[in-house]
Amino acid sequence: MDILVIHLFNALLYASVLFLIAGGLSLIYGVMRIVNLAHGNLFALGAFITASAVGQWFAGSSSALLFLLLPAGAVGAALIGAILEPTLLRPFYRRPEEYQLLVTFGILMILEDLMRFVWGPYPVSATTLFEQMGRMKIGEWIYPRYNLLVIAVGGIAAVFLWAFVYRTRFGVLLRATSQDMRRASALGVNVNRVYVLAFTIGCFMAGLAGAIIVPGQSAVLGMGVDALVLSFIVVVVGGLGSLEGAMVGALIVGLLRETAISLFPELELAVLYLIAAIVLLVRPAGLFGRAT
Amino acid sequence: MAGFGLAGMAHAQEKPKGTIPDKPFKIGHMTFFTGAGAVLGEPMYKGNLLAADEINAQGGLLGKRKIEILKADEAAGTDANTKEMRRLKLSEKIDLFMGITSSGNSPALGPVAEELKLLTMFVDGCTDFLFDKAVPNPRYIFRITNIQSADGSTCAVGVALTWPEVKKVAHIHPDYSYGRNCFDHFSIVTKKLLPKAQNVSEAWPKLFSTDFTPHITKTLAAKPDLLVTSLWGGDYNAFYKQALQHGLFEKMKVATTLAFGSAPHSVGRDHPEGVLTGVHSNYHFTYPAGNRWPANKTFVEKYKAKFNEYPNFQAEGAYTSTYALKTAIEKANKLMGGWPDDEAIISQLEGMMIAGPGGYVYIRPDNHQGYKDAITGFSKNVPEYPFPILDPDRIITIPIRNITAPPGWPKGDPTSTYRWIDQTWPQVKTA
Repeated sequence: MDILVIHLFNALLYASVLFLIAGGLSLIYGVMRIVNLAHGNLFALGAFITASAVGQWFAGSSSALLFLLLPAGAVGAALIGAILEPTLLRPFYRRPEEYQLLVTFGILMILEDLMRFVWGPYPVSATTLFEQMGRMKIGEWIYPRYNLLVIAVGGIAAVFLWAFVYRTRFGVLLRATSQDMRRASALGVNVNRVYVLAFTIGCFMAGLAGAIIVPGQSAVLGMGVDALVLSFIVVVVGGLGSLEGAMVGALIVGLLRETAISLFPELELAVLYLIAAIVLLVRPAGLFGRAT
Repeated sequence: MAGFGLAGMAHAQEKPKGTIPDKPFKIGHMTFFTGAGAVLGEPMYKGNLLAADEINAQGGLLGKRKIEILKADEAAGTDANTKEMRRLKLSEKIDLFMGITSSGNSPALGPVAEELKLLTMFVDGCTDFLFDKAVPNPRYIFRITNIQSADGSTCAVGVALTWPEVKKVAHIHPDYSYGRNCFDHFSIVTKKLLPKAQNVSEAWPKLFSTDFTPHITKTLAAKPDLLVTSLWGGDYNAFYKQALQHGLFEKMKVATTLAFGSAPHSVGRDHPEGVLTGVHSNYHFTYPAGNRWPANKTFVEKYKAKFNEYPNFQAEGAYTSTYALKTAIEKANKLMGGWPDDEAIISQLEGMMIAGPGGYVYIRPDNHQGYKDAITGFSKNVPEYPFPILDPDRIITIPIRNITAPPGWPKGDPTSTYRWIDQTWPQVKTA
């Protein structure tokens, strides 16, 4: 029984991180209709920045300071996002989608090389916080407390995001722009401002995912591309452009992966693609997607 | 040449015979410069670079031909890699192709090199498949690192020597050729040496994952005596940190094939001691220790001075490959005079025994595979290094002929060595 609780925690841990990444990707697509291929490396950038801040620059500081520094990666990724959108993406909105794919893919590669240039080829870790939070007993099993923090951050982010999109004035503008950009613009919405903010929030979420996992895992080159592929599976299942979809998609992927690893280890990789394929066959727009 | 070592090095300072052209000797070095594989690729390139710089400081190969290295990124993917190999040969006119980390790439590039008649030294890409199946009768390609099957076998022999009481075994391996190969060879060797041992759990995480929580939970739930894992690089580092917080190391013995292989300095002092920590059965910079094998001492010192880090097995492999080439060229020149053609260089590489930093490497003439005695050991923290090393008092070395199929052994599935172990090793009798 206790082991089931642990399996559930594991699934939620994975789902939380996936939700943050895929939620950001989906938010950006929902508002701006851009599939941001660079998204994966904003996640990786968040991981590297936090790893450096916590594990190198301020290593040895009090754990309170280290906890405060944890979101550094999210802030860093958001800043990059705030610069990228007006400079590199905005000129391409009127062009066909292929241009946006090419540009965002180019940014993905440039960011990858940038990270290698700054941090070198070796993994960067920052495990102090992961270790300091210690371990807890669940029945006869030991479980790292830090994982619960990650789950909590994922949950809180989901609530905040929901409140932001559905309960604030800016959320209304966001949804209006998402539904009909021209009409919103004609009604006086500053679309450029909405776009840059939506993009920045999306990047913040990706960076936060990277920042929050780094103490328990590590920052490695190539992690961004992996995360991008996984978050595509999530949005394929949940529906691109839908936050609810990203959340449900992340939960499905998290639970399925956990089940596959314990019961059918050989299927760990295949099961995620299988579920994406099934959803595409049955509901091509995803569980929460709007057919356009 | 100073300090490199013994065999084949004695003639280095002799004047070459005949006239030697002074055009640069071009090496196309393909390895991982980007992506998670760069943790292995970068040191490989550095090993090649260190050797080339040393040779160039002496005037170059045969005192005349400076080595020029052209970099190519293995992370481009197998198809792009084969195209790049063709381009390097046909457009850049490279004299030698070197490098390769991934076992997925060497079997694809091997046949292309043979077709192009391109002299090639694979530093790694160590799959048995290359010389078992992809290129069973190589002419132009050589490989320096130990064959992959040595990893699983070395680990299993280490376990049988150290923990013969093990009954329940759990596995966590990355789901690609290396992980599968380690699993197969660990299993066949334990079938012979520890017949009572049973597999109780398997987990196959994706290569380059960083979340191993579910695999750890599954392993713990199976309550094994021993966990065997072939995770490496960033994967292994993330794994052991998470395993620590799950109390995994307190509940079972742990044996690995490559834990200290990728970047010796990237593992923290929090790593538990007494874990069987593999180094790809090839090399760890602390062995042979001290002045017991001066070639290693000087190699480590020079590498540390140049790159401010410690060499891994890839660095040692590329360094040794470069000197094997130099030795072959010098021997061929001595026999024939002038700059030797590829056929002459090949004839000298075949059957060569060379002393590298890690020990003797023998290049078998029939399959062009390098063989050196396999090594593994146990993690231990010592005052001299800020990271754990192999316990100097408990190194395990295994004569390579004891764990690899001999010349002439029929090729078989999954590997020749697997079949050879299955058919020829006696099974330990249990009471």
